[in-house]
Amino acid sequence: MTAEPTRRLVLAAAAAGTLTLAGCKGISVLGPLPKPGADVVTLRRAITAEELMVARYQSVQDALTASGGAGGPGKAGGSARTLIADLLAEHQAHLLQLRARLVLPPRLATASPQPSPTPPPVPHGQQRILTELATAEAAASDRLIAQLAHVPPELAQLMASIAASEAVHVVLLRRGKIAR
Amino acid sequence: MTGSAAGGGRLAANSAQARQDIAALQAALAAEQAASYGYGVVGSHLTGAKFTAATAEYVAHERARDTLTAMIAARGGRPRPAAAAYQLPITVTTNKQAVALAIMLERQVAAAYLGLVAASDPALRTFAAQNMRDAAVREARWSDLPQAFPGLPASSLRPARRG
Repeated sequence: MTAEPTRRLVLAAAAAGTLTLAGCKGISVLGPLPKPGADVVTLRRAITAEELMVARYQSVQDALTASGGAGGPGKAGGSARTLIADLLAEHQAHLLQLRARLVLPPRLATASPQPSPTPPPVPHGQQRILTELATAEAAASDRLIAQLAHVPPELAQLMASIAASEAVHVVLLRRGKIAR
Repeated sequence: MTGSAAGGGRLAANSAQARQDIAALQAALAAEQAASYGYGVVGSHLTGAKFTAATAEYVAHERARDTLTAMIAARGGRPRPAAAAYQLPITVTTNKQAVALAIMLERQVAAAYLGLVAASDPALRTFAAQNMRDAAVREARWSDLPQAFPGLPASSLRPARRG
């Protein structure tokens, strides 16, 4: 009973047709852009949240590399680095899937490049790093589930799956390890 | 789209959606029933903390099963009864196999809630997403492994775009 997974879900962030038909005269001649729908707003919010999560993990990864591992160069530091790298890869996969569902009119997409979000500073100590990441993951998971009502079925399924993945991250971050 | 014809159309659409919602609830119920049965087998091959964990998960699946049964009945559906026995995906004779079975059961449950996440009723969506998340979390407690897209078939993921 899954919604057709193959059906292409296209969310145009603005009146794509209007922009395309306007040709090469540029965005200024078109007047104000129509307000995006609730589904587009929700998807954009999910993308921004995922971008922030990727940025967070990247800054943690940089900090761990700089310090030779949060737990030192030994086994504990090594397993934390593996965990962070694996979870970062999953967030990058989430981001890719979310972005693939947002279809911006080309001119609009290039007109306002989104600044990448700035992650909060990385705390000192492996335990605090893992705890803060777990808190952020749990909050992100809850936020996704709270927004399911505003999106089409296929996007709801993707968001629910990402919310589940983030909750799994919480388990692994609290345990501070990953099976290999 | 005004007038009684549209109203009738909306009614028909509503009842079609209600039927879809019940079918999705039935699919989740079947998975929870299978998981309840399966965890009985899982628990019988585990001891200590793992046995305790399996017992807790068994209770969680039974609760979800009862909730789904009530939800189906409240929507005018007839909850499908559990089978007397289920064909398990693997033979379990060791504790390692018991853990492997628990992981498989949770995967099946997570996937079974996916249809319900697409339901028209927002409350059903939230309920389904929370249960899907619980299943993924239980799976991770057994496996210690991350999962990028719990419950989603690979076919619903987009290939990476270049550029």
